[in-house]
Amino acid sequence: MNPNAPEQNELRDRLDLIESMIAEGRRTTESWGWVFVLWGVAYYVAIAWAAWGHSALAWPVTMILAGVLTGILISITERRRPETTVGRAMAAIWIGMGISTFLVMIALGMTARLDAHNSVAIVAAMLGAANAASSIILRWKVQFACAVAWWAAGGIAAFASETVTGISFLVAIFLCQIVFGIYGMLAESRKRSSRLPSQGASHA
Amino acid sequence: MPDLPELNPVVHGKLRLALLSLLSGVEEAEFTWLRGKTGSTDGNLGAQLLKLEEAGYVAVEKKFVQRKPQTLYRMTESGRAALTEYVQALKQLLGAAIDA
Repeated sequence: MNPNAPEQNELRDRLDLIESMIAEGRRTTESWGWVFVLWGVAYYVAIAWAAWGHSALAWPVTMILAGVLTGILISITERRRPETTVGRAMAAIWIGMGISTFLVMIALGMTARLDAHNSVAIVAAMLGAANAASSIILRWKVQFACAVAWWAAGGIAAFASETVTGISFLVAIFLCQIVFGIYGMLAESRKRSSRLPSQGASHA
Repeated sequence: MPDLPELNPVVHGKLRLALLSLLSGVEEAEFTWLRGKTGSTDGNLGAQLLKLEEAGYVAVEKKFVQRKPQTLYRMTESGRAALTEYVQALKQLLGAAIDA
């Protein structure tokens, strides 16, 4: 054996260090639970404003404000976190879905072709698609259940009465935005508290 | 008996190895994040990152975000190749040590 070769224990230490640091880097997951809650609240505000204020501006104004607020909060909270491919994939899905939904809804609203049935069907289908894509990438069954709930709400909007459509939309928002968002925040908090302290790598 | 591989001394340093391993899992990372993950001091971390940069294993980008300076590090293709070769050499050496 090469007499200058490093000792076996040192080699094992290096291999362990590589494994632990790669795992540490992967553990750096962005926190998204609060975004679901924020948008759930925004949907309720827009629904309440549109129902009682009878304003055509309720949805576009609330959605733009929620989008701006999300952007500001993400730039503050995620600034120090490293960018990962998965994080960028998630952002791409949700930003793409948000812009598509906003443009379609604005266009249908301007041409007076928007009613309770098709608006709920479009929003639910888009949210179902985004949740399904995210859940498949993250391998997260709970989020896939949210996608199924959104698809169900979209299907109900096509077949049921306006009242039932409204109720199913409110229930889907509660389950897939508020409850799922809080669940996500609790899961993220548990993940953070269960992390082991960094292993010693402070010397060259 | 075949010659045993030599370990790349730039990669073999404990902190440098930790930094390359961390950077292999992310697209880019800020200096402060790397400091937090490795528990290193600013001076030591800066010196080791400079060595990796000089070897062409990491690329650095300095920019201002909301008027605050931000230094971002990214692993280069040659850095990824060096880490892969290092791991292979490590496994070969460990295998030889077990066989001996």
